[in-house]
Amino acid sequence: MAVTVLLPGLLADQAGGQKEFELDAPTVGAALRALPVRDLLFDEHDELRSLVNVYVDGAATRERGGLETELEGGETIRVVAAIAGG
Amino acid sequence: MSLAVLVGTRKGLFVLRGDEDRRQWTVEEPLLTGWDVFHAITHDGAVYAAANNFVYGATVQRSTDFGKTWERSEGLGLPEESGLTLEKTWHVEPGADGTLWLGAAPGVLFRSEDKGTSWQPVESLNAHPTRERWNPGAGGMCTHSIQIDSKNDQTIYIAISAAGVFRSDDGGETWVPKNKGTAADFIPDDPFPEVGQCVHKLLVHPAQPERLWQQNHCGVYRSDDRGENWERLEGNGLPSGFGFPLALDPRDPEVALVIPEVGAENRVTPDGRLGVYKTTDGGKSWELSSNGLPEPAWGAVMREGMSFDRLDPSGVYFGTQSGSVFVSPDGGGEWIEAASQLPTILSVEVAEWQ
Repeated sequence: MAVTVLLPGLLADQAGGQKEFELDAPTVGAALRALPVRDLLFDEHDELRSLVNVYVDGAATRERGGLETELEGGETIRVVAAIAGG
Repeated sequence: MSLAVLVGTRKGLFVLRGDEDRRQWTVEEPLLTGWDVFHAITHDGAVYAAANNFVYGATVQRSTDFGKTWERSEGLGLPEESGLTLEKTWHVEPGADGTLWLGAAPGVLFRSEDKGTSWQPVESLNAHPTRERWNPGAGGMCTHSIQIDSKNDQTIYIAISAAGVFRSDDGGETWVPKNKGTAADFIPDDPFPEVGQCVHKLLVHPAQPERLWQQNHCGVYRSDDRGENWERLEGNGLPSGFGFPLALDPRDPEVALVIPEVGAENRVTPDGRLGVYKTTDGGKSWELSSNGLPEPAWGAVMREGMSFDRLDPSGVYFGTQSGSVFVSPDGGGEWIEAASQLPTILSVEVAEWQ
C-alpha cells in the first residue's frame, strides 16, 4: 500500500515542481531514497543530511527508529528543513 | 546576445543588464532562489552555477535556456575510500577540449566531460601527498581558483585556502606546489612552507600566461615565471596586504586591481572608505580608485566578487557584502552603483546573455 511523501518548496522545485509523491516503500529510508531529490536529502555516503527532519504522520522519525522506521501503507511522510540559517 | 553581469549572492543569482555605455543598469528577478550561489558563469551556451544550500548540500546547477529551467548535476560527491564528504561547491572553470573543472571544499577538484551532467573527482589532487599539511581557512578548505594557461591548455593552476597554489603541466594528471616566496605568517615556526599558504584569489593573465597574480592572506604577489617564484608587492601605495578579490585587465598585463581590508582581525576596507587600489606598473605602485564610491564606508568584497569584461575600454565590476554592485566603464577611473540592496554578494562575473 502506498505512502505519501510531502516535500517543502525548494525540494519540490528541484523535483520538477512536484511536491507530493505516492510510492510504495517498506521503510522511511526507502521512501526517501526513491525520490528524485535523493541527492539533496542524503550525502554521497548515504547519510541523511543533518538539517533534514522527517515526520511520519506528525511524529519525528529521529525519535522513533529513524530511517528504518517501518511503513504499513497509508502514512504521510513530511520532509521539513530544520530551523537554522538566516 | 548582450552584456550581463552574473551576481551570485547568499540568496540566489541576480542578472544585471547594462546599456552599451555600461552606465545604465537594470536588475532582473533572481534565479535559483533559496541557493547560495558561490560562482556563476556562462560557457558554450549554458549557465553554470556553483550552488549551495545549508540544508540540502552542494551542487552545480546548469541552465541551457538562460535561467528559465535548471538541472542539477548527477551524483556529485567524493568516494567512500577518500574519507571526505563534499561540503561546498566554489568555482566552475572551462578547460581544454570541452572539459569543465569544479573547485570545491574540502580542498577538492572535479572534472566533467559531459558539460556538467556528471563530475569525476580528480584523485591526483584530492589525494595529494601534501594534503595532511593543508588546513581550512575561515570559509572552509576551499578550492576557489582554477586557471588555464591560454597558450598551453595542459597547464592548469589551482589555489586552495589554506593549501596554496598548485600547477599541473599534464592536464591535471599531476600537481606540484608553487608557493616559493609566499608567506604563511600564521605558521610562526615555518613562515615560508612548501604548502599551507592561505591564497585568497589566484589569477593568470590571459594574454601573458606566464604572469600570475595572487591576493593572499599575507600579501599581494606577482610571478613572472609561471609560479616558480613570487614577489611580494605591498607598500608603494597599498594600505594593506590583506584582502580577497583580485582582477586583471585582459588588455594590459601591467594592470591589476585589489580591494584591501584592514587585516585578518578587522575585515573592512581601510580608512573608512570603499576603495579599489589599482596598479598600472605590474605592482610597483598602487593608486586609490574611489571616484564615485561611497565614503564613509566600511565594506568588504568576497574573493569571487570582482571581474573585468572584454570590451574596449575595459570595464570592471565588483559587488559588496552589503549588496551593492559597482561598475567602472573605464577600468577604474569612475564608478557607478549599478545595483544596491541585493543580498550579500559572493561572486561577480561578466557574461554574454540572451
